[in-house]
Amino acid sequence: MALGLFRSKSTTPRQERLRSLSLFIHLTPRELQILDGLLHERDYLKDEVIFDAGEEGQAIYIVLEGRVLICRQGQPVEGRIAELGAGTFFGELALLDNDPRSAQAKAASDCRLAVFFREDFMNLLETHAVIASKISRELARHIGRRMRELANHSAGALQHL
Amino acid sequence: MTAADSLAAKGSGPVVWVGIITVTCLLLFALHSVLWLVVPALLALILYYFLYPPVQYLMFRGMSRDSAAAWVMATFLIVLGIAVALMVPWVAAKVLDWQSIVERYMKGGLGLMESSLRGLEARWAMLANAHVADTAMERLSQSSGSMAEHLEPVAKGVAAWTPSLMLAPFLAFYFLKEGNRFKRFLANAVPNAFFERTLNLLHEVDLTSRAYFQGLIKLTVLDTLTLAAGLWVMGFPGPLALGLICAVLAWIPYIGSVLGGLLVVLVAATDFPGDPTMAYWSIVLFVVVRLLDDFIYMPLTIGKSLHMHPLLTVVMIFAGGAVAGITGLMLVLPVLGVVMVIGETIGKVVTDPRLMARHRHARQLRRQEASSDL
Repeated sequence: MALGLFRSKSTTPRQERLRSLSLFIHLTPRELQILDGLLHERDYLKDEVIFDAGEEGQAIYIVLEGRVLICRQGQPVEGRIAELGAGTFFGELALLDNDPRSAQAKAASDCRLAVFFREDFMNLLETHAVIASKISRELARHIGRRMRELANHSAGALQHL
Repeated sequence: MTAADSLAAKGSGPVVWVGIITVTCLLLFALHSVLWLVVPALLALILYYFLYPPVQYLMFRGMSRDSAAAWVMATFLIVLGIAVALMVPWVAAKVLDWQSIVERYMKGGLGLMESSLRGLEARWAMLANAHVADTAMERLSQSSGSMAEHLEPVAKGVAAWTPSLMLAPFLAFYFLKEGNRFKRFLANAVPNAFFERTLNLLHEVDLTSRAYFQGLIKLTVLDTLTLAAGLWVMGFPGPLALGLICAVLAWIPYIGSVLGGLLVVLVAATDFPGDPTMAYWSIVLFVVVRLLDDFIYMPLTIGKSLHMHPLLTVVMIFAGGAVAGITGLMLVLPVLGVVMVIGETIGKVVTDPRLMARHRHARQLRRQEASSDL
């Protein structure tokens, strides 16, 4: 009976979708189930602001449906940084610290987002260290990739000069 | 930093504080009229924070929250059931003894009072002329009936409260099991613009109440051990039980400590009838523990948790007592702690023009969407 408590149940479509994300790719179905219990789901309409640049970051956002525009504050066209589709995530630095957001996030279309609150991640580090360490590792890889991209981009820009 | 940022970064103003204090008093008044729910809910919260560490441990070992809550609560109830089953025959056998014991201690207390008053009369002629001892003892003998008369309302009270108190473990189980879902349910009701701030608020409320109730449990253990050690050194019978009763009574600010002190004085007067100094020393012990409590234990346990100014704490304790009696005294600090966090956050949100503007914009978008095909 006790072993039955640790047995995993069938996964939901949302958990399947979460598993396809690079951040959660190494989580087992049971670990995904635990994580899923911590996520909040929010619906945004096209052009609705998700967060502003300079705002204290409290959570990471995962795009479940629709598209999200990342841009410089108040400059959706000329300050466009990226447009993210389903299966991507943004605001990930908020999991690590509470520094201000570096850009504005707006819904580029009607979208549904899953939100992972930083304090829930911190609790996860204490209660389910394995899950948290898997997420942390993927987060570190993701940030490393972004830094390399940035470095390549800067090197390319210097060559043009 | 924009003007909006600097406004949001400021602390709460007087309007917010007036709101916090008013809401706290109104809540205490409202809670006073649903005591049948407040008392078990309060006990359930204490039980929740007491049982949360083992639940967290099981979750740490890889168990789901639901299963961990079920196992911990089942274990607790089994242990409680065994303890009650073992105690019932013992209690039933001792009821008559207890009646005589209570009578004995009451007589002991009255004896101490009489001897103290006579001692004072011997020193102060003015008191002797006023026959203070005779008058006081006559009034007390008139007001005190038989033990059965005193026990009857207590027995009725216990019978009336039992079903309500049985709610406590039930509520605690659901707090343990559904805590996260409740948080998500509340967060879902909040507009997108305020969502992140609300998540933070719920986290702060949880931290505040957890720190308060876990602090209360730690304070009770410290009080029990200190009182028990003092009573044991003085040679009192059952020092640990006496210390525990007094520490639990101290949950009621001021009145609880006085009741605890009286209890120990009664025991001293009865068990050491020929030695009134024991009663005086027990009062000294209580004063010392009270001072330790106020200056060392409280700041170490509960004090840090609520981040309140001492002046506000004292004023609110009196306000709580005036609004809702003993219930108010007991509830005022946790209620104020939670209302303070909620009030300060709402204050910051509604005075943040950017958040309000985003909320208005989102509402406008929703209105447009709802009427797009009309």
